[in-house]
Amino acid sequence: MFCLSELEDTVRVPPDLLKLPLEVAIKKVLQKLFLDKVLSIGLCVSIYDIKSAEGGFVLPGDGAPTYKVVFIIVVFRPFVGEVIAARFKESDSNGLRLTLGFFEDIYVPAPLIPRPNRCEPDPCNRNQMRWVWIFEEQEYIIDDSYQINFRVENISYPPVPTERAEDGAIDDDGLGPVSWWEGCSERNNEDDDT
Amino acid sequence: MIVKANAGTVTNFEVLDLLNSKGASKDTTRVMGLKDKVSSSEYKVYDYLMETAASTQTRESVTKFSDKCKDFKLVKAEILNIINLRPSSDVELTPIIEKPDEREIDTEGILELVQQLLPPLPTLESEQEETENAEQEETAV
Repeated sequence: MFCLSELEDTVRVPPDLLKLPLEVAIKKVLQKLFLDKVLSIGLCVSIYDIKSAEGGFVLPGDGAPTYKVVFIIVVFRPFVGEVIAARFKESDSNGLRLTLGFFEDIYVPAPLIPRPNRCEPDPCNRNQMRWVWIFEEQEYIIDDSYQINFRVENISYPPVPTERAEDGAIDDDGLGPVSWWEGCSERNNEDDDT
Repeated sequence: MIVKANAGTVTNFEVLDLLNSKGASKDTTRVMGLKDKVSSSEYKVYDYLMETAASTQTRESVTKFSDKCKDFKLVKAEILNIINLRPSSDVELTPIIEKPDEREIDTEGILELVQQLLPPLPTLESEQEETENAEQEETAV
């Protein structure tokens, strides 16, 4: 889910940061530039390390040194098939939207919600629809009271690198609100014994 | 600009460890608004990770687990996913592993190993202690 990527960039270190040790100053500039941004490699989470910083030339007409920096960055890049724990954000008739706190564009479209299901107006929130999974005549409501496990089905990067969306599936055993599956292991063990 | 898009994958635990070593666990600075070393987006990641299994894991438990997992014919990504999610029952493990029956994977054995080596998910009571433990292990990833 998280991985390291090596990047190279030309960084201008503004004069007010020059009183700091060079590495700290460069890290600050990089943080401002990259953190919380989506590149083609994923969502940048944290600067891991600076491998090298070369140059330090002051370009004509500029009041600050420019460095060529090679650094390693931690990115959030899920792979298709990965199972991730998320929280419920909102739901409507098109499906669910889940959140990780730092990443909120996870959509579970209606066809990937376990079937048979039913979509009904949420009695607690007039602006929302809620999804109910019907299994063995029991009703399981999808709401924000539990952590929700989903599997990554599809990742899409929009052409302009700012936001990113992800499609998730919860229509399999073990996916969906964790409360659905609590107690399942005990039931399995009982079967084994008999 | 991108030299190497994939220079290795890291577990949730390692990211949490990195953020801890930057001082993310010292909550007072966050309240005071001294977001010098840790940015607000990093705090969001930190908050998410503290709710996952990563917050109770230690370096030893994770390394030992991934070593032992080699006997199970699992793909690297699957091991990573197991460490991040810490499945405690069969039904939680099945979506992580692709076609476990065809590949003859011993899911029972994996679950036993998880039970043995990876500490259970954080509950609200134990969270405080674990933060302190994690702080002491400020080693580079």
